[in-house]
Amino acid sequence: MTRETLIAALQSAIGPTCVLHRPEELMLYEYDGSSLDQALPDVVVVPGSTAEVAAAVRAATGMGVPVVVRGAGTGLAGGTVPDRGGMVVSLARLNRVLSIDPASRTAVVQPGVVNTELSVAAAPYGMHFAPDPSSQRSSTVGGNAGSNAGGPHCLKYGVTTNHVLAATVVLADGSVVRLGSTVPDAPGYDLLGAVVGSEGTLGIITELTVRLTRNAEDVRTFLVIFDEMDAAGACVSAIIAAGIIPAALEMMSGEGIAAIEASVHAGYPPDARAVLLIEIDGLREDLADEARRIAEVCTASGARELRTAADSAQRERLWAGRKGALAACARIAPHYHIVDGVVPRSRLPEVLRYSEEVAARYDLKVVNIFHAGDGNLHPLLLFNLRVPGTRERAVAAGEEILRACVAAGGTISGEHGIGLEKRDYMSWLFSEDDLSAFADIRAVFDPTEMMNPGKLLRTGAPSADQAPTQAFRRTTERGAWI
Amino acid sequence: MDFTLYSQPPARVITPATAEDLADCLREASAAGSSVVPWGGGTRQGLGGPPTRYDLALSMSGLSRVVEYTPADLVISVEAGATLGMVQETLAPHGQWLPWDPPLPRRATVGGLLASGAGGMLRLGYGSPRDWTLGMRVALGDGRLVKSGSRVVKNVAGYDSHKLHIGALGTLGVIAEATFKVAPIPPRRQTLIAAFTTTKAPLEAIAQLRQPPFHPISMVILNDEAERAIPALHPFLRDHSHYLMVAVRFAGTAGAVARQIRAAVAHCVELGSRVIELNELDDAPIWEAIADFVQPTGDLMLRVGAPLGQQYEMIRLLEMTTRARGWATARMVIAGVGLAYARWPIAGVPAAALAAALAELRAGLATIGGYVVIEELPAAPGIDRDVLDVWGAPPETLALMRSLRAAWDPAGVLNPGRYLV
Ligand SMILES: Cc1cc2nc3c(=O)[nH]c(=O)nc-3n(C[C@H](O)[C@H](O)[C@H](O)COP(=O)(O)OP(=O)(O)OC[C@H]3O[C@@H](n4cnc5c(N)ncnc54)[C@H](O)[C@@H]3O)c2cc1C
Repeated sequence: MTRETLIAALQSAIGPTCVLHRPEELMLYEYDGSSLDQALPDVVVVPGSTAEVAAAVRAATGMGVPVVVRGAGTGLAGGTVPDRGGMVVSLARLNRVLSIDPASRTAVVQPGVVNTELSVAAAPYGMHFAPDPSSQRSSTVGGNAGSNAGGPHCLKYGVTTNHVLAATVVLADGSVVRLGSTVPDAPGYDLLGAVVGSEGTLGIITELTVRLTRNAEDVRTFLVIFDEMDAAGACVSAIIAAGIIPAALEMMSGEGIAAIEASVHAGYPPDARAVLLIEIDGLREDLADEARRIAEVCTASGARELRTAADSAQRERLWAGRKGALAACARIAPHYHIVDGVVPRSRLPEVLRYSEEVAARYDLKVVNIFHAGDGNLHPLLLFNLRVPGTRERAVAAGEEILRACVAAGGTISGEHGIGLEKRDYMSWLFSEDDLSAFADIRAVFDPTEMMNPGKLLRTGAPSADQAPTQAFRRTTERGAWI
Repeated sequence: MDFTLYSQPPARVITPATAEDLADCLREASAAGSSVVPWGGGTRQGLGGPPTRYDLALSMSGLSRVVEYTPADLVISVEAGATLGMVQETLAPHGQWLPWDPPLPRRATVGGLLASGAGGMLRLGYGSPRDWTLGMRVALGDGRLVKSGSRVVKNVAGYDSHKLHIGALGTLGVIAEATFKVAPIPPRRQTLIAAFTTTKAPLEAIAQLRQPPFHPISMVILNDEAERAIPALHPFLRDHSHYLMVAVRFAGTAGAVARQIRAAVAHCVELGSRVIELNELDDAPIWEAIADFVQPTGDLMLRVGAPLGQQYEMIRLLEMTTRARGWATARMVIAGVGLAYARWPIAGVPAAALAAALAELRAGLATIGGYVVIEELPAAPGIDRDVLDVWGAPPETLALMRSLRAAWDPAGVLNPGRYLV
């Protein structure tokens, strides 16, 4: 097979305008939101329907060409990087909210719908889509499902898998299946539960039925300021231990606070060592009680100050700081390696401290901006790709931090996924047998391993062992995207 | 415990003491081709058809320990043979609970409840057990002891394989251990009971109670046969003149609960509710009694699911199927969730007549996207199980399910013949 035959086959399957193959077109699809790796696909298709996705997949896999599905490409684990070339399926044209049913609180959407756009569409009904990754203004509902994304408010409302009820999925052989149901507990195995979070390795989700969440009656947002990071970490542990589950409980630390302040003007004190952004929502009476209990815990934990957002404008500003945090850190250094470990919430202070020690040892700047209430750490290791060796140092430091998370009883990824980045770390958590059971699931859906091969699980790749070195070289040569 | 199933005793009973033992048992059974029926508390063995072969009863009573519980993390790991009651007793002193209320919690084990996909009424407010399960260790049919998920509240490493075992009736593997996220017990819980005389009014009440400001954690609609079957409710019903009873439960701080109860009472009265009784004390016993409505009796128990937009039609179909036949059936709708349970008295009813009624109900529900499963098929004389279809038409994805089963239980030794896969 030549690349030309593939392109011709795709053009006849779904029409020439939906097939991109010129180098300048392909370049837009060689990276994701991380600076881990870049690789050019052989071809990109932009189908406009489930049938077109199926036709393109059938054509490609029939010729033995691997398929990588891409939403907005904001993923942080290299999940959409076509490191083995092949066909990228962009879902950019499948971007419609098909229906909203306020009575059953569900929406039917195409996978390319941007996360916030779904919430905007649901707003007239007093509802929203609860998963709220910080990338929500660009990441897609399909990508959120593909990676089982979390977000600040997932502490109370659950991650994406808790909000996907049914999906239409195109499998490797081009067949189309319907998984899940809006009717609870329908007989049969929960295949949808395996597909959500499968990072494009089991199939391509081309339509989703998702749960919508009613907007809360009332909401309160607090900014809690600390002079010591340890105290902030201990405060998070204490809030959870007191049996308080806020809607969101986020933490930001170190130089990041000043950087965010400089870029977003969110109202964070630049001299703070750590801040907590706490939000509670629900019925008025419950909030009054929770607010009082949270204030008590914060005071007892040695907070310098607790500020309450006076109105929705102040609240928005506090959140703009959190959601713009990653971008703001570019003021400190142009590139980042973001770690996504999770620890039991009672272990937060020690692992946080350890992450700073590791960064110092590797001579890297670190900013922790993370979903503290879930124990989901995001040490952001900052570097400049042009300085030789810093990227490798960042990856090595990240690895040490993840090992500490595992040692504390946690995991190597809370929400960003395994992708290319962490597939070699899977054995820290899982035995050969565990991994073989995952491989069995993969083989059920995709027996010849055509869908996003080598992601999540390291499997049958011809050149897989060389991939990381190639990645380093390619990234450093071209400079990374942020 | 008696391990007889559909009048068949097992050839042997095995009681593994550790997860590794359990895996060894399955490896040997798989190699020998001996069929295995896993047993937790036995409360839900009425679900599923008769096993095509029954060599080994695998009792989980030796695996019932709390593996790890750090109250400050709100996470607990337990062996699958632990009863839900025992888990709740472990959590309660720390002000925590697993918000899950299936019938017979003191006998039902965590593994059995997960495998049989048991629900409860708290699902409206707290979601299903799937939402609370963070990870599992499972002995697969071929004897591999595998884990998925983790012991922290967020994890995306690996596929969520544990979800595949929920509701799979032990046909892919035997759950050895499960890890759950747990919740703080709300400071106050209170229940409102309202009785209506028309079919539509309770549904209207339910619809209103799903709107702001209400956040009910449970809502059920019971017909009068169901009320009669639940003695704990009798004090609330002074006479028995064809009521449909709605029970609604709120949780939170005293202030929030009181405001919702007041507003809910006003709505119900406006809709013509005849009786309203507020239970001021601990409402847990009432809900335990309501949950136990779903426990095994001499009746045929059906579980019905239908889209939320089709609840009226679902109830109408349930009613028509049995009324035309003169059967007095007790019925409970788990409102706001899309599930209902119905008890059909089968004493003296020929199996063919039951099968015909079931087929009629299935056909009706199919038109609205619903389904029926036989939750409990009592061992009544004269009931030929081969005539009754427990699961209904298989899903379109049956081929994928079969290939998964072939990968994890290649010898087909787990609960053979009992599930749809
Ligand atoms: C600034 C920033 C902040 C972020 N914050 C968060 C956060 O708070 N929480 C969080 O969880 N993540 C976060 N992320 C990571 C990322 O945004 C999420 O993983 C998001 O869900 C990816 O969506 P996407 O549309 O960009 O998907 P992509 O990056 O295009 O794809 C992600 C993965 O899903 C697969 N996939 C995509 N579409 C489909 C489909 N239709 N069917 C099957 N598989 C599919 C892909 O193959 C890939 O493996 C952040 C990223 C950035 C850059």
